[in-house]
Amino acid sequence: MPSASSTAPDGPGVDSTLEPGAVRTAPTPLPPPGGRRSLAVRIARVVALAVGAALVLAFPALAPNAYVLSSGVIILSYAVLATSWNFVGGFTGYISLGHAAYFGLGAYGTGLLITKAGVPSFVAIGLSALIVLLIAVPIGIASLRVRGASFVIVSIAFVLILQLVFQALGSITGGSLGLTVPRPFPGLLRPEHHRVFFYLFATLLVFVLLTWWLIDRSRFGTRLKAVREDEDKAESLGVPTRNYKLVAFVVSATSTALAGGLYALWFGDLDPIFQFSILLGAYIVLMALLGGVRNVFGPVVGALVVGVGLEFFKVNFGNTQFHLVAVAMLLGIVVLFMPDGVIPAAVALVRRFGPQAASIRELSAAELAERERGVRAAAAARARPADHGASAADGDRDRPHEDPRTTGDQEER
Amino acid sequence: MTTTAQPSVRSLETVELSKTFGGVRAVDGASATFRHGMINALIGPNGSGKTTFFNCVTGMIKPDSGRVTYRGRDITGKAPHTIARAGLGRSFQLCRIFSRMTVLENLLVASREHGRGRLLRGSHASQDVERARGLLARVGIEHLEAIEARNLSYGQQKLLELAGVLMGDPDTILLDEPAGGVNPALIGRISSLVSELNAEGKTFLIVEHNMDLVMSLCDHVIVFDQGRPIAEGPPSVVQADSRVLEAYLGV
Amino acid sequence: MSTTLLFQSLVLGVLLGGLYALLAAGLTLYFGVMRVVMIAHSAFLVLAAYLAWFFTTQTGIDPLVSLVITVPLFFVLGIGMQRLLITRLRPESLTMMSVLLTFAVALFIEGMIGLTWSGTQRRIQLGYSGSSLEFFGAQIAVVKLIAFALAAVSLVLLYVLLKKTQFGKALRATIQHKEAAQLIGINTDRVAGLGFGLGLATAAIGGTALSLDATIYPSLHWAWIGPLMAIIVVGGLGSIPGAAIAAMVLGISQSLLQVPLGTTWAQTIFYVALFATLMVRPQGFFGGRLAQRF
Repeated sequence: MPSASSTAPDGPGVDSTLEPGAVRTAPTPLPPPGGRRSLAVRIARVVALAVGAALVLAFPALAPNAYVLSSGVIILSYAVLATSWNFVGGFTGYISLGHAAYFGLGAYGTGLLITKAGVPSFVAIGLSALIVLLIAVPIGIASLRVRGASFVIVSIAFVLILQLVFQALGSITGGSLGLTVPRPFPGLLRPEHHRVFFYLFATLLVFVLLTWWLIDRSRFGTRLKAVREDEDKAESLGVPTRNYKLVAFVVSATSTALAGGLYALWFGDLDPIFQFSILLGAYIVLMALLGGVRNVFGPVVGALVVGVGLEFFKVNFGNTQFHLVAVAMLLGIVVLFMPDGVIPAAVALVRRFGPQAASIRELSAAELAERERGVRAAAAARARPADHGASAADGDRDRPHEDPRTTGDQEER
Repeated sequence: MTTTAQPSVRSLETVELSKTFGGVRAVDGASATFRHGMINALIGPNGSGKTTFFNCVTGMIKPDSGRVTYRGRDITGKAPHTIARAGLGRSFQLCRIFSRMTVLENLLVASREHGRGRLLRGSHASQDVERARGLLARVGIEHLEAIEARNLSYGQQKLLELAGVLMGDPDTILLDEPAGGVNPALIGRISSLVSELNAEGKTFLIVEHNMDLVMSLCDHVIVFDQGRPIAEGPPSVVQADSRVLEAYLGV
Repeated sequence: MSTTLLFQSLVLGVLLGGLYALLAAGLTLYFGVMRVVMIAHSAFLVLAAYLAWFFTTQTGIDPLVSLVITVPLFFVLGIGMQRLLITRLRPESLTMMSVLLTFAVALFIEGMIGLTWSGTQRRIQLGYSGSSLEFFGAQIAVVKLIAFALAAVSLVLLYVLLKKTQFGKALRATIQHKEAAQLIGINTDRVAGLGFGLGLATAAIGGTALSLDATIYPSLHWAWIGPLMAIIVVGGLGSIPGAAIAAMVLGISQSLLQVPLGTTWAQTIFYVALFATLMVRPQGFFGGRLAQRF
């Protein structure tokens, strides 16, 4: 994983000498200090969370028709998938483009358990997820032996081989003809069906978010994030990187499989091409990256943005190749211009315009006037012939007032 | 601190350590014993195999043959994290820190709590945070606690890296060119830190090119050339050794 | 399996392996010069096939002639891609981000092909499409032979370029150690651009060869990128000879397995080989130090 240290030209405090070859990058602006600011931020966050939760709960009632409601279900499933992906992508920094593999395994596992083994619907989801968990261990061990690009390649290879196998095993899986999964609540009308699964997916999302948040703030999470920053360095500090990565990987796969199982029950029709889809894998990565992988709600935001976009394209342009082009361009833009996600990019943009504007606002009219006075006095002093014997009083008056805020800004840097 | 008597406590030892890359024998049957409780130095001209030796000892590279023991325990070819937990901390030649984590978080990664039960507890547990703050204050960067590590100057990052190594409370600390790329003032600071920590009982092994630092700071020097030690002893003795001069001057 | 059938599969495997080898060599080039995993390589392959098909159906001339247009075009495209896209990525996360970026390019190409020529499957019909030669009892389709000849000639040319020319030396130096190459005065940025161009040129040749014999459709590239990726990991990332050898071995294996197992199962050999490589020798069988932690 990338490990080049970047340095600021002059850090606060100790003198520095740059080693030749050390990379200089523009340092990120420091967040504004002050307890008042962070309290406001905290309140804003709680409010946003409450509003978001309320909207989700109310959505089925607000949705104008069954189709919109089903779109809502799809977007929620995307949110679960993207957050599940983020256990690996966000914490360890390993990018898996083939995560649909676990989605498909969970879906087919559930479907097959119900149709071939007569397992009750929701038990099948759990059992299927357990099976995926067991599969994910050796796959994870193998895949995590390599990093970076090789890992991506392996993840793609895995989903492609599953696609092949599930198509070839037509006698068991229905192959290209697909597998039909019986509905768990056969009596329900379609809108009701969508409503139930909307809340089921929402519940799953809550659990996945909670798990992500728990790991994020934990020791385990901090160490995983160190793996993302510099894996070898983390290991040299005593972090058992192989085991930790594997745990994150297995959690991610299992969570994804749960979403797959739920999807199988909801949608009812499975097909190797759509379940083991690289395109879906790309969507997931795009959503997580777009929303930002370092935040618990990043993937959800990404899922919302991309999901709505995809549904929009589906409605207006049908299933043509155009949505491929659109996704491609969006992914390209995110990778080139906003690799940390839309939110950090937007925040950085705002901050670039922010501080200067803020410091002007912070200077009251009185202080501005004083500054003016001081500058004028200095100009006048320079115009006068040099007078080294000037009294202290004169000297004080002549010296322009140093605005405490300007030196303060200096120190903040 | 500066005794030359043979210590009864065993520290880091290697026996016939070898590592070959392609056709090059980077480390060639290196047998060395580092002195417990002392500040050991590992010096030698470029290409003498010091860094490869260093990496073999710390687990970054698997040696082809030979043994590495620490405190009598065989650590040959073990994973770096096992070696770290056995009490060997190390720094890197090109200072490595976690760029996009804050200074405090950098240290919290190395906290000693490894039990499975404690993994899911919050990373900012008070005892870890207090220890981390203490170490940051010790190296002098406690005021930078909330700043992302990538915004620090190189010198500050070096101090951060050292603090991170100390966080794991190792008995023996291996420093790979601690004076590399820093100004004299900072070298002095690092040097006094090393002395202080040594007085508190920590053993050091320093790979270094800066001869002034080595001669003034270190008790026991091992000189490498062509993949193995060729001389060892106190700085004054090693300095005068003709074999050492030959190695450096290529005569 | 009868000996004739076995021999036939073997020969077909060699022919297929040759094509794989050329494409895998190209894929290795991108990785070697810029540590970029070019997922769009197979998409360009399919694009070249479509261009060849379009050329033939519009002009009635043999698709091989389209090489005159597509090879220089793709070469320039390659340089352009490197200059305009890849160089924009941050160096620390270059490899990762290049995967995503080239993935986006692949999707883009697939979408554009679909928009331009629709999703209908296409196939070139030539006068010699159906004919085959006899070779020690084995029936070998002429188009496969031509495809192999094309690939073989290109590989030889590539070899000569890399080993005997000044540019080739500069390219190999850049692949081996970029900083060292810069220190001895090689303009590695320019070399990287040309390396990319070369890589895409191999895609052009491979695509044209492919068009002679295969049915093409927009999402075909997914069927190729998997095996190609597996090949370069098995061979060892960054090693062109490694890629070529792995391509041959796996191509022959795939062909031999097709008779008992059928096409779909035979394709799994690539992934089996990939996972086996990961467990036994993660850096690839012929991979140098480059291959290690990428």
